[in-house]
Order: sequence, then C-alpha cells, then structure tokens
Amino acid sequence: MAKKNERDTKRCHGGVTRRGFLASVGASTVGAVVASRAAAAPAQQRESLEGMVPCTLKINGRHHSLLVEPRWSLLYVLREELGLTGTKQGCERGECGACTVLVDGVARYACLTLALEVQGHAVTTVEGLVVDGQLSAVQQAFVAEDAFQCGYCTPGQVMAAEALLRANPAPSDEEIREGMSGNLCRCGAYDHIVKAVRRAAAARRAGGAR
Amino acid sequence: MAPSEGAPGLPRAEALPPTGHHPRPDAWGKVLGQTRYVGDLSLPGMLHAALVTSNRASARVRALELSAARSLPEVVAVLTAADVPGANSVGVIFPDQPLLAVDRVRMVGERLALVAARSREAAAAAVGAVRVELDPLPSVHDPVAALAPGAPLVHEGGNLIRTFQVVRGDVARHFRRATVVFEAEYRIGGQEHAYLEPQGCLAVPEGRQRVTVYASCQCPFYVQQAVARVLGLSLAAVRVIQTPTGGGFGGKEDYPSEPAACAALLAWHTGLPVRLVYSRETDMQLSSKRHAMVVRHRWGANGAGKLCFAEVETFMDAGAYVGLSTVVAERANVSAIGPYHVPAVRVRTHVVYTNNLFGGAFRGFGAPQVSVAGEATMDALARRLGLDPVEFRRRNVLDDRRRTTCTGTRLERPVLARQCLERAVELAATTPPVAAGRGEKVGTGVGLVLYGCNLHHGGQRLDRSSAVVILQPDGSVVVRVGLTEMGQGLLVAVQTVAAQALGVPPEAVEVCLPDTSTVADSGPTVASRGALAAGRAVLDAVRRLRRRLDPVAAELLHCPPRQVELLGGHARVRGEPERAVPIAQVAAEMAARRIEAIATGWYRSRPRRFDAASGQGGAYDFYAVACHLAQVVVDAELGLVRVARVVAVHDVGRVLHRPALEGQIHGGIVQGMGWATSERLAVREGRLENPSFTDYVIPTASDAPVVEIEAIEGAAGRGPWGSKGIGEPSLIPTPAAVRNAVCDALGIELFELPLVPPVIVAALGQRHPFAWLREQPADEGVGVR
Repeated sequence: MAKKNERDTKRCHGGVTRRGFLASVGASTVGAVVASRAAAAPAQQRESLEGMVPCTLKINGRHHSLLVEPRWSLLYVLREELGLTGTKQGCERGECGACTVLVDGVARYACLTLALEVQGHAVTTVEGLVVDGQLSAVQQAFVAEDAFQCGYCTPGQVMAAEALLRANPAPSDEEIREGMSGNLCRCGAYDHIVKAVRRAAAARRAGGAR
Repeated sequence: MAPSEGAPGLPRAEALPPTGHHPRPDAWGKVLGQTRYVGDLSLPGMLHAALVTSNRASARVRALELSAARSLPEVVAVLTAADVPGANSVGVIFPDQPLLAVDRVRMVGERLALVAARSREAAAAAVGAVRVELDPLPSVHDPVAALAPGAPLVHEGGNLIRTFQVVRGDVARHFRRATVVFEAEYRIGGQEHAYLEPQGCLAVPEGRQRVTVYASCQCPFYVQQAVARVLGLSLAAVRVIQTPTGGGFGGKEDYPSEPAACAALLAWHTGLPVRLVYSRETDMQLSSKRHAMVVRHRWGANGAGKLCFAEVETFMDAGAYVGLSTVVAERANVSAIGPYHVPAVRVRTHVVYTNNLFGGAFRGFGAPQVSVAGEATMDALARRLGLDPVEFRRRNVLDDRRRTTCTGTRLERPVLARQCLERAVELAATTPPVAAGRGEKVGTGVGLVLYGCNLHHGGQRLDRSSAVVILQPDGSVVVRVGLTEMGQGLLVAVQTVAAQALGVPPEAVEVCLPDTSTVADSGPTVASRGALAAGRAVLDAVRRLRRRLDPVAAELLHCPPRQVELLGGHARVRGEPERAVPIAQVAAEMAARRIEAIATGWYRSRPRRFDAASGQGGAYDFYAVACHLAQVVVDAELGLVRVARVVAVHDVGRVLHRPALEGQIHGGIVQGMGWATSERLAVREGRLENPSFTDYVIPTASDAPVVEIEAIEGAAGRGPWGSKGIGEPSLIPTPAAVRNAVCDALGIELFELPLVPPVIVAALGQRHPFAWLREQPADEGVGVR
C-alpha cells in the first residue's frame, strides 16, 4: 500500500507515518466498502453516473473536483481523468514503484492507493516538483549524474528520492540504497541514482536548491 | 560508404575529439515526467485492444465462441484469423508463427482472437466473454526430451530446427594429449526482460490504404514489415514511429511486431485509432524470453595447464516458434569457447522446438549462457590441475601472438584479453576485502569473454544504417537516424558524434527518434551496434554536407575549402585558429544563398566470408574483450547470494560518452547478476507461474553491487573514432563471474543457473550447516527442478 522512506522508529506497516496511516485507514475503509460493491457491478454501469461519487483532490497545490468510482486508484485518476501522465504505470500491483507520488510528503504507490483515500491530503506528482520553471534539487541531480537510462521509472525514482530527503535530509549511502529500494530500475542505473540522491541532499542542505 | 575503415571519421592523424560528459538530450523530459511513452498517448475515439490467448501449451482449437463478446456494450470489434487481410504470419525469419491461431495452439499465450473496445475494462470483459474450447494435445517441455524418438511434435517436420557447428582441429588427436578431461552438463535457465515499460503501441488508420503505428520498440523497420505483411499493404503505406521506449534489452527487438500487427489489424477494421498496452502479467506471460539452454561440455587440458580440446553440445529451447532463435544460436555457437586458444574444437548448437514460451533476443544473445558454461569449465579444469583460475586463464588466453579464435579468425592487434584479465585482478587486489558476517562465506570469480561486435555473419545483410543531417539557418542541427534509443544512450552517442564532426556544442544538435518515413531501413538496434551504425551514417552525412558547407565557409574565410576545419562552434582556417567565423554565420549564409543544407548518410559493414558448415570464417566484423571479477558473500544456511563487488574491465576502443558508457556497464552487471542469483522463470507445462515482480525477483538498489569500471581505449573498433559496442559485453561476463565466485565461496561446483537458494542448499548436500537435521541426504530431497 504505502511505502518506505520513513526512518526506523517512525516506520510502521510499510512505512507511512502513524498519523498518515490512521488518516488513510479512515479513508480507505470507507473506500473499500463502496469499492467492493462497485467492483461487483456489471460493466454496463461504468459509463453511467450511478456508483460515481464526488471527490475533491488536492494535487500539486490545485484542487480538482471530479466524480470518481470508489474503486478507482489514484494512479488511474491521475493518468486517465486528469491527464497527469508523468506518473507511470509499470505493474499496477505495488511491485515496481514507477507510480510513486507523495501524499503529505510521504512516498506512496499510486496504483495501490484509492483516489478517495487521499481526499483532504496533499498529493504531489512529478509534474508538481517544478516551481517557476526551476527543476527541483532532485531533478537537477538526476540530470547531472545521468541517473536514468530509459527513463520510465525515473518519475517514480525522483519522487521516492524527494520523499527520502524530506524524511532524512542527510542519508548515508546505505540509507539511500534502502530508501530507494522500493523503486525498480531495470536498466540498473542504481549507482548513478545513489549519486544523484547524494548530490541532491548536499544541494538541499546548502540551501541553494529546493 | 564512409571514407575510411580503420578509425572512421578521423580526417587525419589529429587528436581524437574529447569524450562527452554532457547531460543526455532526453534528460529533461525524463526527470520532468514529460517524456510521452506510448501508454501516455491517446487520441479522440481511441479504442483499447486486448488479446484472447490460449491457456494450454498444446491443443487443437475445437471452438471459439465470439457472439457473447461481440454483444457486450462498448465492444467494437472481435477478430480472428479469418479477418486477416494479408498473411496471417508474424515470424521474423521463418513463417512458422501465425498472428492468430487457426486450428492449433502450440504455447500458452498463443493468440486466438483480438478485441477492441471503448475502454480497457470493456476490452477485458470481452476477452472474458469469449468461450474457447481446446482439446489438449501432448506437449514437450524440455529441449533434450524434444529430440528423443517419439517426442510430441510441435510442428510437422520434427522438433530439431537447425544445428550450428564449429569444427576446428582434430579433437581425437588432441584428446590423447590431455591429462585432465572434464565433462559436465549445465542447465541454464531463461530470463525475463522486465523492461519497466510494458509492450505497447498505438495504430492510427487512414482508410484501409495506410496506417501509422506508434510503437515502443527497438526495431521500427521490423514492425513496419510485420504490419505491412499482415495487412497486405506496401511498406511505404505503413509508417512506424518509435515512441520513447522504456527499456528493451532485446525484448523489444522482434516481439513488438506482434502487438503492433494486432493493433494495426484492429485499426484497419474499425477505422479508429487502437492502443494496445500490455499489463505486466500479460507481458511476462506472452513476450519472448532469454533462451533456456542445456550445455554439455567435454574439455581437456595437459599437464602444462594448456587447453587441448573443447567439445560443446548445446540444446537451445526455442519454444513453440523460431522467432530469432536461429540467429541467437549463431552467436551462442561461436561464443562457446571464449577468448582462449584451443587447438581442437567441436561445437554443436541445436535449436529445438518445445511447447514452452518462445525464446528471443536478450542482451548477450545466447552468449551469456554458453559463457557461464565455458567459464565454469575453465575453473573446473584449473582446480583439477591444481592451478589458480586466473593463472590457468593466463596460460590459455588469446593475445597478440596467439590470436586465432575458434572460428579461425585472426584478431586484430592489440588483443587486450590478457590486459583486461590482469587489470581486473590488480584492481580487485587494491580494494579492501569484502567483510563476511557469521555463517557467511566469501568468494571471488572471474568471467572473461570475447565479444563479436555488431551482427553475426548470418545477419550481415541487415548491417546498414541511414542518417539525415540538417543544418538549420541558425547553426543548430537536426539529426535523424534509423536506430533507436531505449535507454542505452543512442541519442547522446549520436549527438556527441554529430556535434564533434560539425564542431558545434552538443546542445546545438537535436537527434530524433526513428520514423520509417524519414530514413531508410537501418536494420535492427541490437548487437551493441547502435552508436556504431548510426554514428557512422551520421559521419557520412556530415562528410557530404561539408561538400556544400566548406566552400561557403572558405569564401567567408578567404581560404581554399580544403583548409576549412570545424571546431569550437566555428569554421576556421586549419592552422590559423584566429581566422574563424561562427558556424551559425556559415549556416545563415547557406540559407541566404539557398544552398541545400540537408545531407543523407549511409553505413554498411565490409562483406565477410563465413562457412556455416564448419563455423569457420569472419563471424564478426571485429571483437571486444571484457573481464568481470565478482566478489560474493554467500549465506550458506539460507543459500542466499549477495554480490558485493564487481570489477569490470572493458576493451571499448574509444569512449564516446563517459556517463552513458558507465551506465551501460552498471546496468549490464545488475541485470546479469539478477539472472545469476534470483531471476528464476518458473515454467510449468509451458505456463509461467511467476509473472510478477513479487515472484520474479529483479535486483533493487539494495542488491546492486559496488562496481569499479576501467575502460581501456586504444584497440580501435569500427565505430566512430574507433569505438566498439558496450551494451552486450557489459552483461555477458557477470553471470559467469558470479557463478564462479559462489563456487569459490562454498567450495562446490554448481551446474545450474540461476543460483536461487534451493539450488545452493541442494548442491551443498551434506555440507549444508543443517544437513545433520535431515535423515536423508539433502540432495535427494531438496531441489527446485
């Protein structure tokens, strides 16, 4: 469901903060009940408004009001309903990390998060990292260190690194490897990714970059 | 043809242009999430495609009931083989594979029908509503068993597709000279490509006359041919545009033709754009795999520690359709001996049909499997001779004096095999030893390989490449090539070469992904040939462009055109750097005078001769050597392998772009290590039982070893500025080195890959720390096969 990047003691059930965890449990319980009913509904109803519920999502600082089916994942809503295709779909079952986004600053797999769960929470996608045309420190570091090859996992890697550095501004290499291990890179660019996270951490600490 | 053969692109004996370090041109789109992969593309009215496939490995199709699926809402088309207007055939070399099965299925995942619907869900529902009735037929799932008399036939005409051979020297005579003979059978498993972006394409029709296909692929020209064949259209009527491709590794060489033909067929029938993007599970179940192989060895050496003879017999599991298997076998066949001098060699490589998932291209192309076996046998012989594995290799490795390969090719000097080996050993010695915890054992292993660069002789006709260079009026440059970027760094390599050849900064050069309507068929982006073939074509285009550019520059500089050189963003008078005009000014002048500022370029390799019956001749255009030295930590109780460190020394000819080169080496090591230690394809009766990243375990950042790289330049290849390829040689030595290191750590010999914990625990037998807990010897009770 949610993922890593919180350090040791704060980590619980896959790594959400306790507060975040409780909040999301509240939301997802509601979601799950409705979801099971919706999933059982025949396909004909898909296009009708029946079974759709209004939902307001705060994504990259902007509020979006839309109708969603309760079973829709955050990944589906981001990509198919809102056109935010920077968040990638690699497995749809929480294995690869290509869909990593931030929910209240914590890394989450969007494919295992229901859209309804994140109502009232701040969602940040890769599209939300750029401010005034300026790349974030993590993005700059990924460019500088050649920390990608095919690029498909890169938005997820960037978001995971962002979450890691928010939780731990000065990670050791070991902590970086551990913190980034929820995101697969089949090109095997891990060495450059670790260097990029290290570089981004230094840049953020120096205060020059975000 | 490009002007010179030795070090292409080098005008004179000038200093080589500097190695690139600049960011890749595709960096910003990728870190910003703005790069549009095919799954990110949609068009108004676009339909979603899905496949109805066989769940049996071998069966007769009794019935295919489609009416229920067709009557579902949102379903627009349900098609079968009867709806194919052209040839119902997608085999890239042999026409043995239908796009849609007619009456017989030969593997799990074989396509029976295609669905297009207004939503992904409706398409999935339609797939579920198709009633498929299959009468099971006998099946065969092991390449050795498939050759036994009476084995079920996958196709009429027998299960043996072809046998390749290398015959050199008199094995019987040299056998008598051997004091140590080692025989073994290695069982090497397959591998899933697991590119993070699944297979996908988008087909856009224009009537039934024309179609454009946007595809995640390595070989747009293969896709073009397949779609044209299936739809009965001319090649010109099928335009294929490569979309940014999220990893290939060979998995997007031949396979994307199949989904593309499916989407194009649906688009052709419906008149609407159709997108087909696989789910991960579908992708893993349906797409090609690295071939599983059974490799039998009988090798001998004499008391002086010299190899006398080597016999290799390999059974390659092609699966139910040939695909690229025969081509993979060609490389496996001639790579079986490695960079060693062996007086007598007999290699036989059998390509065999089974009802398993079909084998295809995968980084290394048959060489990794036979290299694991070859390097394992080298260690085994060393041990039996009482020699250190490195010392044994020293005594047998090819060098400047003894440089004839098993295919009878005399390697060009300098031959760097010995240097690569010695340098790897030196580098490993300077690093602190790997620390082992309680119950852990540490080991070191070597993998030394000879890589035939570019395509094998059998694929020589494909070894060509096209480029277009356009000088814009402001001095910036557009470059079009026919080879693809899939993460390996083709764009940055071509950008670097074009920028250096035109003397402009790399940022001034934009390189486009291939579009079959803008460049000529450039063959496939495979065999580590991308930078070589595309780069050479670009150099040729620049040479032709300069026929028109240099006279204009010469006029501006008041010098003869022969004295014009392009450097540092300027056209200059050679030897007088102060006499210079900006290239932008030359470009503006060309535009003002309406001088053609576009040029095409072409590359093809020198023709070679090769005798397939004996495996002797010019198998490859030129060669590279690579040595990996792996240090592993093995938890003997759990059978868990951790690859702690890999030293990688590569003979690269010339580094074009340092970060991309190192990225390729890192990536090859991680992928090779994954295959060697954790990536096990659990195939039961032809069905993949672990089609997910939970059950098929690929390395994470935590698993990646510390890597130390040394790129040795100087042994010129035939790529731009003397470069060689790196994509495949970066992977091939790793699994061999890792396997040997694990054996070193545990003091046992292992004959299987991958080395997942059950394999190691079983192989330890009575030496397993908890063997005393068992009543039965461990190797009778525990196993994964």
